[in-house]
Amino acid sequence: MFDDPDAVTLLEAMATTLSDSVVPALSGGVQHEARIVANLCRILARELAESGADRDMFAALLGHDGQLADLAAELDRLIASGTGPPNTLAVLLADVTRRAEITKPGYTFTDGT
Amino acid sequence: MEPDAAATGLSELAGCPVTITGAASLGAQRSTLFVDLERSTGIESAVAQISTGAVETRPVTAEAALLTLVGQRGVPVPTVYAATDELPGIGLPAMIVSRARGRTIPRHILRALPDRGAGDDLARQCGAALAVLHAIPPNEAPQAFEEVSATRFVELQTERLELLGRPRPAIRYGLHWLAENEPAPVPLSIVHGDLRNGNIVVDDSGLVAMLDWEVAQRSDPMQDLAWLCLRTWRFGSDDRPVGGFGRLDALVEGYEAAGGTFRVDAFEWWTAARCAWWAIGLAAQALAFTAGRTDAIMLAASGRRVPELEFDLLDQIRRIDH
Repeated sequence: MFDDPDAVTLLEAMATTLSDSVVPALSGGVQHEARIVANLCRILARELAESGADRDMFAALLGHDGQLADLAAELDRLIASGTGPPNTLAVLLADVTRRAEITKPGYTFTDGT
Repeated sequence: MEPDAAATGLSELAGCPVTITGAASLGAQRSTLFVDLERSTGIESAVAQISTGAVETRPVTAEAALLTLVGQRGVPVPTVYAATDELPGIGLPAMIVSRARGRTIPRHILRALPDRGAGDDLARQCGAALAVLHAIPPNEAPQAFEEVSATRFVELQTERLELLGRPRPAIRYGLHWLAENEPAPVPLSIVHGDLRNGNIVVDDSGLVAMLDWEVAQRSDPMQDLAWLCLRTWRFGSDDRPVGGFGRLDALVEGYEAAGGTFRVDAFEWWTAARCAWWAIGLAAQALAFTAGRTDAIMLAASGRRVPELEFDLLDQIRRIDH
């Protein structure tokens, strides 16, 4: 799409409007829902900026290219049968770390113990 | 559900006039209502729970029997006044219990604690209450409470994962690891199954009651301690693993002082196991939205909470394997 603003900018603006204008004007259950929607807008903006990363990680682990759904299904089957590639845990951990940082920034920075 | 019909049904169940004074929570599975019971001795504030979920895991009368049992043995729980599997005029399962006075909203509980010592005291009280629960002979629980050993738990989660109908390699890895690393079998205890900051009532002197026994089961007692300490229930206070208010050492002290035996290996395993359980639970909430069974935005948003739990699951496995 070449129309302005781009999707990421628009989602961020939607989140700001919801958080700064809409949420304070509401109360109770609908206020909670508006907060959830604002947060989802922020998540989607971060997600759009990184699309395709899962596919690349799984393709590298499995040693061949493919669609994300096919690669995930293949990896799922290999793990279930106990024949996942040697590096499976490290790659999965890197992938969930990346995804958790999209959905909840800062979540994966634990003390490392 | 018509409020008037509910009040009429609850009056018949209670054996005295019942007035609905407010809604404590309207969940997907049950509505929790504040009610006044007009007894001959005066008005008593109580709580009515009406199950609205399509899938009832077990009869509410069995849950009421369990609550009564554990209450008699010294576990802090509300007193059951009446329970039925078919509320007159409504047809849904319902239970009326005493109203435990205190704070129930997690952030209110955390904010009201004067200092870290008070948080550790609360953790000790939770440990002691769980030890009393876990010491009750499990064969005294109603038959409806199924046995969920570690092995059975992994089987059940594998079945739940299949129902999602799409590959989740991180959860799959977790379940495979759990199956390969099960703790040594132990005699099963009555386990609350959902004890966390959010299902406890706390006042200025500490723990008042443990609520919501819907998923109680016979299982490894370490499951309760692990779930209470999951990151999800710390509300950002990761230095206070017990519900965001206490140290693990304090929970264990309270548990062992009241006769419980803390097994660290099983605790670590159940921590991973309940991360997997909750990851699948959140994914299932999202699926309910995608499949058109709900239009609740909160359940749709659950789909974007799965990565946190997948991270906690694999991070826990990495720590244990390290």
